[in-house]
Amino acid sequence: MIYKDIGKKIQRAREELGLSQEELASRLGYTQAALSNYELGKRRLYLANIEQIARELNKPLSYFLEDSPVRSPAEEREPQDETIAEIIRLLSELPVEERNYLLEYIRWRRERQR
Amino acid sequence: MIGFELNEEQLRYQKWARAFAEEEMKPYAAELDRRQDTAFDWGIVRRFAKANLLGLGVPQEYGGLGVDHLTLAVVTEELGAACMGMIEPAGGTWLATCCLTLVGNEDQKRRYLPLVCGENATLAGLAVTEPEAGSDMAAIRTRATKKGDCYILNGTKAFITNAGLAGFYIVFATTDPRKRDSGLNAFIVDGDAKGLTLGKVEEMMGLRASQVGELIFDNVEIPVENLLGVENTGYLIAMQTLDMSRPCMVAGTIGAARAAFETALAYARERKQYGRPILHHQAIAFMLADMATEIEAARLLTWKACWLIDEGMDSTLASSMSKVFATEMAERVCSRAIQILGGQGYTRNSPVEKYYRDVKACQIYEGTNQIQRMIISSML
Repeated sequence: MIYKDIGKKIQRAREELGLSQEELASRLGYTQAALSNYELGKRRLYLANIEQIARELNKPLSYFLEDSPVRSPAEEREPQDETIAEIIRLLSELPVEERNYLLEYIRWRRERQR
Repeated sequence: MIGFELNEEQLRYQKWARAFAEEEMKPYAAELDRRQDTAFDWGIVRRFAKANLLGLGVPQEYGGLGVDHLTLAVVTEELGAACMGMIEPAGGTWLATCCLTLVGNEDQKRRYLPLVCGENATLAGLAVTEPEAGSDMAAIRTRATKKGDCYILNGTKAFITNAGLAGFYIVFATTDPRKRDSGLNAFIVDGDAKGLTLGKVEEMMGLRASQVGELIFDNVEIPVENLLGVENTGYLIAMQTLDMSRPCMVAGTIGAARAAFETALAYARERKQYGRPILHHQAIAFMLADMATEIEAARLLTWKACWLIDEGMDSTLASSMSKVFATEMAERVCSRAIQILGGQGYTRNSPVEKYYRDVKACQIYEGTNQIQRMIISSML
């Protein structure tokens, strides 16, 4: 149960980076079959494995261990709120510095709301 | 697999464990079971230590015997056939060493694993359960607060095997109860740590030769180097430890069921009614046939779980299935054994009533059978 959930998150994070199973497996020093078994939840994942994978995929360890359901790409593309969808669309067109500036601004606005 | 034969080493361990159980455990089982108050006996632990049985699963480089999980199950079945209660001090130790072997860093393994190995071995224990957190591990309230180079532990653990006896415990505590699963952490705590005391010792229906009780933590200082794994990964650590140790514990139950079956079979061959041994009455013969069949089925399921563990595969489903099937099988088999022995079976003149009391515990500890069914059904 637990390995299947973690495996799905590994697959998702790998795909986000546009990596194939072969590419990630070779970076980790695993065989492609081993990585495939991890993603399918068939092989036991040790904490050390998860740490290594998290580093390679630039994710915090908690991303793989905390109890959050993995959403399908379709769900990801359809936020419930149209305003949020618009913000995400526009933000993604801006350069990284601009995005960070806006993030800071949103945090500041949120603090003021409290 | 496929292949159901044990290899030479496993057969050698089986023979060795059977001899140990016959000579060092069985002669004392009835006496310890009847002792009033706590019947825990260091003399039995010393015998286990002399045979290095406490370090059975500990890798050889740290002083243990380093056997794989299938061999552990084979050995435990033999010990369980002699006395389930006497296995518990070793079983509690194996839980802790399984956890430490799984996630401990080299320094932690070097410092703690050798303590349970060899003649002068001490016991160890795994402390998860609390008065208000049994099946629901996320409800753990024992609090770990970071302060400089230490964590400060406060809280109470309940139903801990080897409480008050162990040289060290693996203790699960939360850094933030609101985070539930994601706030859990595993710590190595020395048995003589300042502020750690033994609370109530339980008076139990069976497993009388073991000590189970409360551990009370009152501002116990744990150095940060005794945190297992990474902060807030305790849930994964607990799940993996329990999944991997479950089939081995189950094997002990199969041993007790086998002992009950063998007692009933021997009795049915000797006891005559209506001019012939009761074994030749179909009513009794069929009961024995069912008992033998169910024991075999439980053993194969358990061995499969062990094989998956030894192959590095996810064993969760098979571990839970073996726990449910074998522990409920054991109660049925012991009940039938009492029935076959009739009035004799219900008295303390025969060992079967003790087997019955002992195996009942196995449906409760290490994750109740109801929790196992939740795990199984979630994976269907």
